[in-house]
Amino acid sequence: MAAKPCLKIKGRGKGPKGSSSSTTSSSSSKNELVKEWTNWSLKKAKVATQYGFIPLIIIIGMKSDPKPHLFQLLSPV
Amino acid sequence: MADLLPPLGTAQIDGKTKVDEKVDYSNLPCPVPYEELHREAIMSLKADNFEGLRFDFSKGLNQKFSLSHSVMMGPTEVPSQSPDTTIKIPTAHYEFGANYFDPKLMLIGRLMTDGRLNARVKADLTDRLVLKANGQLSNEPHMSHAMFNFDYMGSDYRAQLQLGNSALIGATYIQSVTPRLSLGGEVFWAGVPRKSGIGYAARYDTDKMVATAQVASTGTIAMNYVQKISEKVSLATDFAYNYLSRDVVASVGYDYILRQSRVRGKIDSNGVASALLEERLSMGLNFLLSAELDHKKKDYKFGFGLTVG
Repeated sequence: MAAKPCLKIKGRGKGPKGSSSSTTSSSSSKNELVKEWTNWSLKKAKVATQYGFIPLIIIIGMKSDPKPHLFQLLSPV
Repeated sequence: MADLLPPLGTAQIDGKTKVDEKVDYSNLPCPVPYEELHREAIMSLKADNFEGLRFDFSKGLNQKFSLSHSVMMGPTEVPSQSPDTTIKIPTAHYEFGANYFDPKLMLIGRLMTDGRLNARVKADLTDRLVLKANGQLSNEPHMSHAMFNFDYMGSDYRAQLQLGNSALIGATYIQSVTPRLSLGGEVFWAGVPRKSGIGYAARYDTDKMVATAQVASTGTIAMNYVQKISEKVSLATDFAYNYLSRDVVASVGYDYILRQSRVRGKIDSNGVASALLEERLSMGLNFLLSAELDHKKKDYKFGFGLTVG
């Protein structure tokens, strides 16, 4: 499964010791952090859409007027 | 004296009809959306020919809500290295779909047995602003695409902003210049293959004919012309030239809309002749026959299908 982004950043912070200046490394690590979080959230959104889009349409449809019966949903006629 | 009066009367009537025909430039009609610029030509020339069996069953539970079941069995083409041979793999799949149609919200979802979801959403955010979203999500990594469009409809213009995954941004604008002529342009920037493009389009339509032209910096020049011969018959022709890859294709097609059936056919300069017949057997039962003969590659595709509901 996708690892949480925080653990990855901690590992990266320990690696390079002789970095040029603390501000550039913190801003680049912030960029990395933002990128990691957006990638993680996009992946979760994709999985949620894949599983939930059709059930969402069915729920919205079953609530619209006139309310269809559950039997009409499942029967092939 | 009596001789002078009738000419004055006729001069007044002539002047009035001339005023009616004069164009009211502040009240032009709204143009067609930029991506539907050549929709009449697409109906005749880009009919969806298929190969194999196709069965669609659509069941409406409600005025707004319906479910659909589709079975498709047939070979699918796999891109091959050499352009002469085509590799076909026989596949069969079942697709479950749910549709919800509301004046303000439209949701269409199609889910296949291999986990691929095809989702379309169209929501009217305000009177003039429409959000459209389109996604193909699959289980394979890096094979999912999504695109969001924001459309704004003005009194005689339309503007659209597109955002897609893998950093794709595009914008289109189309404006009615006279009641019959509309001009538009588009700009896009794609992040992954770092390229950007700009294109222009024009559309001229009357009751009997539609002519469109498109030029883009990606190298395509496309022109098409559709003539409506009668209520039942229309003929279309299309010319596409790519000045970067030096590809040229010209095609001629027809569209016959009869009482019980609809026949569309076209012939190409690549040696492809194709036709699609949709026949209404009875209320809610449609029979489809499709044929595509590629004489250059010696690839012949035939398909038949049935649509219920």
